[in-house]
Amino acid sequence: MIRLAWRNLWRNRRRTLITAFSIGFGVLLAVTFTGTGDYAYTNMIDAGASMGYGHVTIEPVGYNRTPTLDKRIGDSAALRADALSQPDVRDAIVRILGQGMFATASNSIGGSFLGVDPASETPAWSLLLRSLVRGNMLRDRDGSGVIIGSKMADHLNLDLGKKLVYTTTDASGEIVSEAARVRGIFHTGINEVDNAFVMLPIDRLRHVLGYRKGEATMVAIMLRDQRRTRRVRDALQHRIGTSVAVLDWRQTQPDLAGIINIDRSSNYISQLLIGLLIAAGILNTLLMSVLERTREFGIMMAVGMSPGQLFRLIMTESFWLACIGLLMGTVITAPWYWYLATYGIDFSGSIGHDYSAGGVLIDPVFHIRLFAESIVAILAGLFTLAILAGLYPAWRAGRIPPVESLKAL
Amino acid sequence: MRLLAIAIRNVGRYWQRSLITTLAMAFAGFIMILFAALMQGMVETSEHNVVAMNLGEVQIHARGYRDDPDIYKRIHDPAALIARLQKAGFHAAPRLYAFGLAAAGTASAGVQLHGIDPVLQPTVTEINRHLLSGQWLSPDDGHGIVIGRKLARTLGVHPGSEVVFLGQAADGSIANDLYRVRGVLKSVSEQIDRAGIYMSASAFRTLMRLPTGAHEIAVMRADRSLGLAEATRKVAALARGYETRNWRQLMPTIANLIDIMDNQILIMTLITYIAVATIILNAILMSVFERIREFGIMKAIGVMPWQVASLIYTETLLQVSVAGLLALGGGWLAGNYYERHGIDLSKLADSASFGGIAIDPVWHAHVTPHVLATPLLMLIGVAAIAAIYPALKAAMIRPIEAIHYR
Repeated sequence: MIRLAWRNLWRNRRRTLITAFSIGFGVLLAVTFTGTGDYAYTNMIDAGASMGYGHVTIEPVGYNRTPTLDKRIGDSAALRADALSQPDVRDAIVRILGQGMFATASNSIGGSFLGVDPASETPAWSLLLRSLVRGNMLRDRDGSGVIIGSKMADHLNLDLGKKLVYTTTDASGEIVSEAARVRGIFHTGINEVDNAFVMLPIDRLRHVLGYRKGEATMVAIMLRDQRRTRRVRDALQHRIGTSVAVLDWRQTQPDLAGIINIDRSSNYISQLLIGLLIAAGILNTLLMSVLERTREFGIMMAVGMSPGQLFRLIMTESFWLACIGLLMGTVITAPWYWYLATYGIDFSGSIGHDYSAGGVLIDPVFHIRLFAESIVAILAGLFTLAILAGLYPAWRAGRIPPVESLKAL
Repeated sequence: MRLLAIAIRNVGRYWQRSLITTLAMAFAGFIMILFAALMQGMVETSEHNVVAMNLGEVQIHARGYRDDPDIYKRIHDPAALIARLQKAGFHAAPRLYAFGLAAAGTASAGVQLHGIDPVLQPTVTEINRHLLSGQWLSPDDGHGIVIGRKLARTLGVHPGSEVVFLGQAADGSIANDLYRVRGVLKSVSEQIDRAGIYMSASAFRTLMRLPTGAHEIAVMRADRSLGLAEATRKVAALARGYETRNWRQLMPTIANLIDIMDNQILIMTLITYIAVATIILNAILMSVFERIREFGIMKAIGVMPWQVASLIYTETLLQVSVAGLLALGGGWLAGNYYERHGIDLSKLADSASFGGIAIDPVWHAHVTPHVLATPLLMLIGVAAIAAIYPALKAAMIRPIEAIHYR
């Protein structure tokens, strides 16, 4: 029966090839859509993680809702050690994050400050450090240095070596001020970051805020693979208990999660849509080939083939059709995938270099990358679609009464 | 006419195939029209959020203010300039800006103060109607503020709460006062959501010790038929000595967004239609091969090749017309439905932004002639291209071979 189905398929070579091409085209599109998503989301999530919170964040309970500086975690070193004991964790960084006002003699601006330990920050885990364009990173934990964004430097007329005064509320709610000298300037290309973020040495900040040694706002945890986020979060929460909150990037960066959710849903919808059209094509091909062979089926049934066997025959045909289509898809997709993965397509001409979504900079070069589970999902999805499209024609074939079908034509 | 009659009969011969082909085309056309309408709606909402909620169409600043927003760089006599603009048929309103720290309880945040004229402002922007909760500022309110939605969360405040502002006044002294939150805004832009505080211009002047001038004058056309570039030139002529920019120049990202979305619609449509094209190609090709003997006989009795080709085209066109009508009707209805009801994205995303512009959590479509026509014309084009090969095949048939076919 398998060979019979195979032979039947090649009786009308042109039709089979066109249908297989449409399945192959489906593979190409699904790979492009899913691959862009896999690549872009991972990039956005990793970039978002390096903006301060990490993939997973250990922070005081309630800080996420109202981020006030009286909320703090006590023994950040112990929590950091807990985080580092997890297998998927690359690094864990203790930071203080707060809101304040930054002023010079000429002007003032509002923004956020990030208290960091210069020894534990690396460019890989810190967008601000990675984007340093002038000056140097802070040298010690208790220095008087500050690193600011390029837009803030413009607004406040600041330059390397100049003085900046920051004002905020301390641990007990009192308004406090402190002066710092600009050591470095970063430029990320995201307006909201370049005009609103500064980096301060963590021990000096603890002193200003009235924090004890070891107290901080968060432990930012960096993972090897963003897909492990939920697992690490749950494992950590289980290990540490509920005295602190363990959150993932979806909770600390709802804007980013929102953009990714919207994009992913529209991606799925487009893929479903194209899948439906491809299924219609397969249905049409198989149905026609069934209607054409009415006589043939009549004879087969007259010589003793059961409707069930006919049903299986057509289903086998649609199975082969799916196989040929997927094979064809693999052949036409491979060079395309290789090209996009290696070189990418540069869209900087139309969207520019500083296009951000959900607060994260979007790479203007369109790249692609597929997770293993996505490949399985695409192949399985298209295969199922092809088989489903074969159901109606197969059922039709089994329903043909022998006598009438012989009379037909 | 006879051609049409034959074509109709031919299409009806394998009605199942014709039906599937037509429905697939109609479905693809329908989805593309809906998609285009939704994209159009999104672009217009973002544009609206930028222009009508915040920027205004044209802005006037003192020279150099945009590069370096210094509290002293002011338009010196805003009232006279506004009077001139109003006489020339524009709506205009003054604005004042300052930065500082807002605190409520133990929470604090860096903020941007917007001093607005409660009477003139509604003639230029609609932000006074864009409230999540509470009310807009009343003209005689010296200590009321309206704040951005994320800022309200950061500070943990709601209408009725008190907020302390701390900043540096224009004379170098400390500007410090207590305000009461009257209202919280819906999403406008990243900047306003996160750090925007609105107060009346008079309260701003008292707080910041800035008795005269304005940092910005926002202008809106009263006469919509006047082009944006033309309006910008007229405003610039009235505001000599100052910088005049329209919103496209101020926010090139948004202006680009429209082009980006147009391209996206085009690419999506093209991709979908390639899938449709294979269905059309397959269906027509099948119908040609089934009838190869018939075409052979037609040719043998003297039908010209172009007549055969036009028969195939008429059949295709027939199916596309039906599909197009279905797509048009369905797309128009669905587009209108989503124009009125909108799609609620709040389940997917609590808040989201693109290029610094907040995305409205309820997504509305907008049906325009352009939105309806482009997918439809492309559908017809795709069908016409897909039919080339089968039509040629049928037209080039040699009668003897065709009659002996199989």
